[in-house]
Amino acid sequence: MKSLIIAATLLFVPAHSLSAQQQRTTQTETIETLLARIERLERRVAELEGSKVQAQPATQRTEQTQVPAEALHPEVAQSVSEGPSLKIAGFSDFNFSGSDQKGTKSGFTEGQFVLHLNSNLTQKVSFMGELSLTARTDAGGGMPPVTGFNAEVERSIIRFEHNDYLKVSFGRYHTPINYWNTAFHHGQWLQTTVSRPEMVQFGGRFIPVHFVGGLVEGAVGAAGLNFNYNFGVGNGRGSVISRGGDAGDINNSRAWLVNMFIKPDKLYGLQVGGSAYRDKISTGGRDFGEWISSAHVVWNRETPEVIAEFANVRHENLTTASPVSNSQAYYVQTGYRLPVFDKRFKPYYRFEYIHIPRSDFLFQSPVVPNLAGSVAGLRYDLTSFAALKFEYRNQRRDPGQPRINSGFVQTSFTF
Amino acid sequence: MKAFGITLIIVLISGSIAGWTAPAGSDIAVVVSRDVPIDDLSFSELRKILLGDRQYWSSNLRVTLLIRAPAAREREVILRNVLEMTEAQYRQYWIGKVFRAESSSAPKSIATNEMAFSLLNSIPGSIAFVNASQVPKDLKVVRLGGLLPGDKGYPLN
Repeated sequence: MKSLIIAATLLFVPAHSLSAQQQRTTQTETIETLLARIERLERRVAELEGSKVQAQPATQRTEQTQVPAEALHPEVAQSVSEGPSLKIAGFSDFNFSGSDQKGTKSGFTEGQFVLHLNSNLTQKVSFMGELSLTARTDAGGGMPPVTGFNAEVERSIIRFEHNDYLKVSFGRYHTPINYWNTAFHHGQWLQTTVSRPEMVQFGGRFIPVHFVGGLVEGAVGAAGLNFNYNFGVGNGRGSVISRGGDAGDINNSRAWLVNMFIKPDKLYGLQVGGSAYRDKISTGGRDFGEWISSAHVVWNRETPEVIAEFANVRHENLTTASPVSNSQAYYVQTGYRLPVFDKRFKPYYRFEYIHIPRSDFLFQSPVVPNLAGSVAGLRYDLTSFAALKFEYRNQRRDPGQPRINSGFVQTSFTF
Repeated sequence: MKAFGITLIIVLISGSIAGWTAPAGSDIAVVVSRDVPIDDLSFSELRKILLGDRQYWSSNLRVTLLIRAPAAREREVILRNVLEMTEAQYRQYWIGKVFRAESSSAPKSIATNEMAFSLLNSIPGSIAFVNASQVPKDLKVVRLGGLLPGDKGYPLN
């Protein structure tokens, strides 16, 4: 019966309305979908035969729709059932890089291996987790020998949804005070470029990349402006300021944040917003007050793509009298999905800048180095789920220092 | 049991002939399950639903998005006219959406219009997009900006 179904189905695969190349691709996908579906149906038929359920007459059209939806589409059945339904997806990348910086070596590097777990506990309660495995440069050293990869729980969030206006969650987040930090996470394939802007680099210190605590979020129509908000309370930075307070807060002063943005109906693709973040940092026997204010403008339609962000980090030494410092960082990235070659090519450019004043004792170089640099590259989408990126970087750390030129090739994908 | 197998073949073939892709030029109807408390959607509301930015009809009724599988004209019209995305952009958008934890699941991919009708009858809060000429009379067709399929200026065709 399988061959009959396949033959009958293939005969009726539509052969119009697409270009020749698209047609081949979509027909292949359609055939694969159908084969998978046929297998599911055959299994269901076998189950029904096994349980001696009477088949219904084939002559009445209405009876076709009486085949249980759950049998026809198991994943839909899963989504409406009351119980955990774990789904796993993954991201990874492989890179080759070379640089004219003294002391560096060219070669291949393995990017993060990221697993993303998602489970609906009920219709209104869901969990999501993100695990990463990162190659270690000190693998095999020490006693006992260090393992080759460092495992990290990047995100772990349980969310309770009342409706679109109100969602409450608890867990470990990527701090929602920066667009890039919440839009792309650890999936390199999702972002246009090879690397993240340095102001939101993983393991970086300019802004707190992770946040442990609770968030209240939601969205309202606001007369077509589509106003979105996040309010959060959490532990803030740890004594190592690149880390969130996973094992507890280092002081009795919670961090809090506010993030708001709009996505106007009339300018589909535009997002404009800003954030504020307040924390008390205790490190090296001193306390610092931290105020972060940030803003972003994004046009995400790809023709063109524009992402621009700015952040000011204000530090005040609460232990000894010293001047208040303001460190700033921004980047502007543009890209354009070319209309030729099946829209697979996307050239891009990014300028980024970080300035740390001498008065900022917490960020003073080399903790957060200054930066003025450009990134230019080309993204080629091999398939809908894998990309190849070529990138050139030209960066200077401080005025008077030589510029560093680097080249990168990356293949990134989701699986 | 053979009769049941034959029924399935007929479902698939009829899907190929009638439900596989809507004929060029025909309007695409926005069809919802009976419990959805809405008769009219604005174009921007429809876009928000398709983007997963609106996930609830009301506090007690979640939106379940049913989208025809790739290659179907219904899907092509939705992606082109409403989302202004290519197939690849749409896939990447939803992978990113789920990865950002903004939605706990992506839209359900539906192979045929018959399947869409079946699921609309069985899943509360579901919404699907199907060839207007094939919509059974017992299903609820939503107006789009006050217009029904066949009306002048209807945007999904």
